[in-house]
Amino acid sequence: MKYFVTVNGLVREVEVIERLGQLEITVDGKPYELSYNEVDDLGQVVVLHGGRSFGLSLEGDENDVTASLAGHRYDVNLEDERERAAHAAERAAGKAGGVLNAIMPGVVVEILATKGQKVAKGAPLLILSAMKMQNEIGSPADGLVQEIHVSAGQAVSAGAKLITLTPVEAG
Amino acid sequence: MSSPGRPPRPPRHLPIRMFQRILIANRGEIALRVIRTAREMGLETVAIYSDWDTKALHTRMAHVAVPLGGTVPRDTYLRADKVIAAAKATGAQAIHPGYGFLSENAGFARAVRDAGLVWIGPPAEAIDAMGDKIRARRRMKDADVPVVPGLVDPVDDAAAVKKAASEIGYPVMIKASAGGGGKGLRICRDPSQIESAFRTASGEALASFGDGRVYLERYLEEPRHIEVQVLFDSHGNSVHYGVRECSIQRRHQKLVEECPSVVIDDKTREAMGEVALRAGRAVGYQNAGTVEFLWSRGQFYFLEMNTRLQVEHPVTEMVTGTDLVREQIRIASGEKLGHGQDAVRWNGWAIEVRINAEDPRNKFLPSTGTIQNLRMPGGPFVRLDLGMYRGMEVGVDYDPMLGKLIAWGQTRAQAIERLRRALQEINVGGVRTSLPAALTVLEDPRFRAGQFDTHFLESLDLSKGPSDHVDLVAAAAAVFRHHRSRRRALQTDSKGRGAWLARSRQELPHGAARSVRTGGDA
Repeated sequence: MKYFVTVNGLVREVEVIERLGQLEITVDGKPYELSYNEVDDLGQVVVLHGGRSFGLSLEGDENDVTASLAGHRYDVNLEDERERAAHAAERAAGKAGGVLNAIMPGVVVEILATKGQKVAKGAPLLILSAMKMQNEIGSPADGLVQEIHVSAGQAVSAGAKLITLTPVEAG
Repeated sequence: MSSPGRPPRPPRHLPIRMFQRILIANRGEIALRVIRTAREMGLETVAIYSDWDTKALHTRMAHVAVPLGGTVPRDTYLRADKVIAAAKATGAQAIHPGYGFLSENAGFARAVRDAGLVWIGPPAEAIDAMGDKIRARRRMKDADVPVVPGLVDPVDDAAAVKKAASEIGYPVMIKASAGGGGKGLRICRDPSQIESAFRTASGEALASFGDGRVYLERYLEEPRHIEVQVLFDSHGNSVHYGVRECSIQRRHQKLVEECPSVVIDDKTREAMGEVALRAGRAVGYQNAGTVEFLWSRGQFYFLEMNTRLQVEHPVTEMVTGTDLVREQIRIASGEKLGHGQDAVRWNGWAIEVRINAEDPRNKFLPSTGTIQNLRMPGGPFVRLDLGMYRGMEVGVDYDPMLGKLIAWGQTRAQAIERLRRALQEINVGGVRTSLPAALTVLEDPRFRAGQFDTHFLESLDLSKGPSDHVDLVAAAAAVFRHHRSRRRALQTDSKGRGAWLARSRQELPHGAARSVRTGGDA
């Protein structure tokens, strides 16, 4: 199976083929020697490559993996060819807007955006209070505030719809 | 009840006045920290816990644990009445508040005293005196403690601002009287900038807070956060334990702390120590406390006094060889310090990093989840003070600090290398943590050279992460997915079972196919 793997923003094409119980791996078309040994079922993995050993930690799901290596964090996104095509089609369809969800449970302190407002990427949309901190939630993209689903003082759970954005018209 | 012939409990190495049982009015790593010293002193410990913390480490490690009933802090750890009732019910004679929660609540300190219990902390009056920042500043000024030059009362016209600025000295910072969140804040480097700066700052403040008055304060260039650890006993004796530097911070949340500091020589340390003791004496201080200063280009100014044990106290312990919690308990029981300033020695260097459940790649937003995949660091001169454990739920109702990692070295460079090594060993899964950010700080040449100020952390670009070993991580992640997908396909309880099961039976060797069927029957 071929995967498009994005590691901290850098893209690699990785192919994994299982042959007689052995994994054959290529990275960007070149054979890549790798011995992959799970230490436990929690995410500790010993990886051998080029005569060196690496104590890696991997957790996540099929698409989003967090890897830790010697204390540094790698955010990894994986797509197979079908997923990649589907995501590309979504992007082409101009779904740049969408729904902004709460990434953590908390209480909405203040709504900074107004319905119909044009916002730039990163512009503060609302303030969410969680863990004794006030967190400013910015706009994920340029867009138009189509709908505000919450009000100040409201408690929200993780994943709750906060704001719906529509993409700004070109020009 | 003790049997008639049994001798009374031996006092061990403790004096008669020392209590036998203490309650720790806190949770997390600091509760464990206090329990550990108490156990070493032969004292019994009482933990309190919320429903959320039924399985927490402090609940498990104490001799006695009392449920407070309730989930969130305001129904549990912040309920003075429940805490005192728990102490009374368990026969605890003293209460250690840790930091946070009720530790700087003078009303609680009084209530503890009024309940006939010993408060392991400063007198309520001293907490009060330092608690109001404006009053504390005036009091310090009167006690000849240097404060940042500035106005005590707000002004509301440009001419008054200009006049005050020339007395305070440039550069000055104009701060909205009702300010907050950076609104109504302007820096002026010479008189020509005052007029327009005042107008915009005042206008912003008026628009935001309905109050256009402003304060004026000397703007400190390249400020560094330096603090002094002090101890006062109840017999009028006091010593300082030197300085810590906590300039690596973000929105006043410290991330990396060290003892001592590259900018403080022995002479300055003694001068700051003396001023810190003067500050404490001015409010009748007792027990452990920390006097925080801003240091700028050789000058230091009083910021505030924290009337409790600090999160970062371990770095001082590592360098001075003093157990500060033990000193707190001794002092609270009425013992004398037993030594003078001469007895305090500083040996080597210690650095601490905080392990917070937050995402440094996303503006340090809190991160929630279940702690898993823990790998602990070890080795010489490494100290790990943790409140977290495998399976712990990290929610939003409590402080995001999971613990602290501390290392000692003979030199600063050695301490940095040792802590860096320990940071490479530790792994915390299930939530995002501040650890990679701390590692980035330790690896930064400016930090290593000691060239930083309180703006340093915000100047770092923490959004990307490393770009080496990308091939390796990409290949390993692809294999991770490969194995995961295959395992999922074999899971008999997942939806779409039929097709996958049929397929796996075809493809897998005989034995494996049987195990799949067995799983399906279970």
